[in-house]
Amino acid sequence: MKYDFAVIGAGPAGYVAAKKAAASGLKTLLVEKSKLGGVCLNEGCVPSKTLLQAAKTYHHAKHGSIFGVEVEGLSFDFPKAHAHKNQVMDKMRSGIAGLMKKHKVDVVEGEATLLPGLAVSINGETHEADNILLCTGSSPSVPPIPGIDSEHVVDSTGILNRETLPDHLIIVGGGVIGCEFACMYASVDIPVTVLEAMPEICPNLDPEVAAVLREELTKKGVNFKLDTKVESIDPKSVSFANADGSDSLEGDLVLVATGRTPNTKGLGLEELGLDIDPRGGVRADDRGATSVPGLWAAGDVTGQAWLAHAASRMAEVVVHNMTGRPDRMRYDKMPAVVYTSPEVAVVGLTKEEAEARGLKVKTGRIPMAINARYLAENPDESGLCKVVLEAETNRLLGVHMVGGACSEMIFGATAMLETELREEEIEEIVFPHPTTSEIMKDVFMAVR
Amino acid sequence: MATPIIMPRQGQSVESCILTEWKVNPGDEVAEGDVLAVIETDKASFDLESTASGTILELFWEADDDVPVLANVAVVGEEGEDISEFRPAASSPAQPEAPSASAAPAVASVDAPPSTASAAPVGISSPSTASSGVSPRARKLASARGIDAEIIIGSGPSGRVIERDVEAFLAGRPNLSASARVRALEDGLEPPRRGSGLAGMALAGDMRVPGSIEGAETQPVKGIRKVIAERMMQSLQSTAQLTLHSSFDLTVAQAYRKQRLDDGKSKVSLNDLIAHAIIECLKVHPEMNAHFLGDRIAVFEKVHLGVAVDTPRGLLVPVIRDSSDMSIEGLSSEIKKLASACREGTIPPDDLAGGSFTLTNLGMLGVETFTPVLNAPEIAILGVGGIVLKPKRSASGEVTYADYLPLSLTIDHQAIDGAPAARFLQSLVFHLETNPGQPFSQPNE
Repeated sequence: MKYDFAVIGAGPAGYVAAKKAAASGLKTLLVEKSKLGGVCLNEGCVPSKTLLQAAKTYHHAKHGSIFGVEVEGLSFDFPKAHAHKNQVMDKMRSGIAGLMKKHKVDVVEGEATLLPGLAVSINGETHEADNILLCTGSSPSVPPIPGIDSEHVVDSTGILNRETLPDHLIIVGGGVIGCEFACMYASVDIPVTVLEAMPEICPNLDPEVAAVLREELTKKGVNFKLDTKVESIDPKSVSFANADGSDSLEGDLVLVATGRTPNTKGLGLEELGLDIDPRGGVRADDRGATSVPGLWAAGDVTGQAWLAHAASRMAEVVVHNMTGRPDRMRYDKMPAVVYTSPEVAVVGLTKEEAEARGLKVKTGRIPMAINARYLAENPDESGLCKVVLEAETNRLLGVHMVGGACSEMIFGATAMLETELREEEIEEIVFPHPTTSEIMKDVFMAVR
Repeated sequence: MATPIIMPRQGQSVESCILTEWKVNPGDEVAEGDVLAVIETDKASFDLESTASGTILELFWEADDDVPVLANVAVVGEEGEDISEFRPAASSPAQPEAPSASAAPAVASVDAPPSTASAAPVGISSPSTASSGVSPRARKLASARGIDAEIIIGSGPSGRVIERDVEAFLAGRPNLSASARVRALEDGLEPPRRGSGLAGMALAGDMRVPGSIEGAETQPVKGIRKVIAERMMQSLQSTAQLTLHSSFDLTVAQAYRKQRLDDGKSKVSLNDLIAHAIIECLKVHPEMNAHFLGDRIAVFEKVHLGVAVDTPRGLLVPVIRDSSDMSIEGLSSEIKKLASACREGTIPPDDLAGGSFTLTNLGMLGVETFTPVLNAPEIAILGVGGIVLKPKRSASGEVTYADYLPLSLTIDHQAIDGAPAARFLQSLVFHLETNPGQPFSQPNE
């Protein structure tokens, strides 16, 4: 069959691209080897957020005494939480299927192999397309640690399928994924230890924001071992080394969360002369174009951003460019969230990143606790809001928050960044009272 | 009492200076000696200092204006004082008053008798002078949106720019972000056809110098670059340039340099030796040491040797006055001194003018030969290339290898013919191969 547009992979890049292209009149093929929705919907964002909410509800119930709420006989039914998670996923998947049907996208289940000359082979059938979007996502990285293939060692996909709670969860890697699972299990009173090789968790975050997150998770019972290198995983323990020497910890479940690797194998990419960067991602420019004309890439397979919303945006950019509307990625303005309690939400440059680019900056910083709504709702939780401005122009360069449900207000900062608002303009925006979002206005008063 | 600040005369040969940057704004308090502006003469830059204390009442020129020396550039005094008497007549044209709709077109009427002169100079009419003014409403809208109404082609009477012209102009341009708008208003920058932000919004980083080309970083031509551009173009357009190439065997010159060191004398570079050889040879070929002035040729008594110097701010050519009176040692140290003054930007403007012959050297940058451009009205310039290994045949017929240094002599064929220029080059090669660093002596025939 001959298509205008073929999409390989039905994650947040693939289904968005397919819908958008089909809606603009392109005859579109969407290929998926597993389930619609990709990692995000099936093994990532959606199931983890559902379980995190379950854990948060339990935690609030248990720690409600400051509000006068006392609960007796509190229990946590993990399989029931999983059932809710599965329902949410089913609903979302059928939503995507309906969307594809509505826009007359041909959805084919199978493994795709790309052929030279913009063709793709699926289940023995060859289809041609004027343009092909490669958005095959990523898989958890497997670091070379002895014993990593043991039965009690899981990755983020594996842990989301386990309906039993461990006695002690050991997490290798204190990045975003490691922190979210640490928060989830610690919130339901499971002892958790996080082993992180770097001196601070989430090294891409503003260091002060990362420190507040670490302290808050520590309060929930997470034990962090920083600057610590895992040496081996044994049937009942994990051996590690740090400045204090070598030691080991007993644990019946080990989560390895040391990053992700782009899925580029088994797709026939080697034959196409496609440029792959040294870290394994398909090289794509800020329009999503690869080194092969007509072949585009979006999402985790590019090794950039590693975020579902970034993948969807990349897909949108590809379809825009393909259909003659100039558009490009602005990675500097890509918000990122850690869905722990408290949440972390950031967009734009940190002070350190801005200075590394030669920009002169000034910063503002205030604790969330000066905000009435925040204090009322999060009496025991620290939070922080920081802004980075260009010194001479007052142009907003970055917003970095930790505290409460700040993920829900980071879009406001993103809009400010995208429109390059300056302190002068932001001062005139009205923020409803009492909302936690007011912190984003007040922080400018602390700028120096 | 209001006191005018004048553009100082930076040396006898300087008629005007480019005001590259103001350091103050009207209303600022200044003290005597405070830096008001950066000015650039021919080829060096200076700070313009205040000669009075008080408030800056008015700045008469804009950055990049070419200001005649001794003209008033600013007035310092007390708030509210009248400054009109200090306004220089030749200052940048005052904002044109919007002419009434019935005003006659500014261009000469077509039925005027044809001029008897050969051709009228071109370039009189430009979009800004062709426009017949801007309506106040149009000007207000344009300035609020950060654009210059003068550049818009008007659709009103006599091409007057009216509000709807500004609206139509804006419709074809991208939306500006808040920060981009500030850059448009404050720095006079323009957005590209489509910006890199939301739905093509122009962001601060997209803003470009007017006239920019997509995909290229565009900078205005100003300061030294502007002077060099004018000089080079004028040189190539007003002279008949011819370049002769030769080279000389370095054996004797290198031996001379080594001998000096062995004798405990100061170090001289190959460039110093060539400069010295030029001066010695010009003594026997004085016709090469001249200016071509159209209707006359001025042959100089002494050699005032210009030496091209690459500096971070561009090409500078300091002149060693009366270099024909100097010893090789004196010449060497003078070249070193002027070159470093050029690199540091402390060279007095008078030392950048008045040359009679120029030496330029690209050999250290790996260039073998090149065709130097005359420093008009000088009639000759010598370019030095990089060392090349060449075979040579000895008197006995044996072929050996020797290091050669290429020399390229560009002459103005208006003033001098190829053969006499070649004879000069021949003398230069002979001198450098037999007697470098010494007074010129004729070959023994």
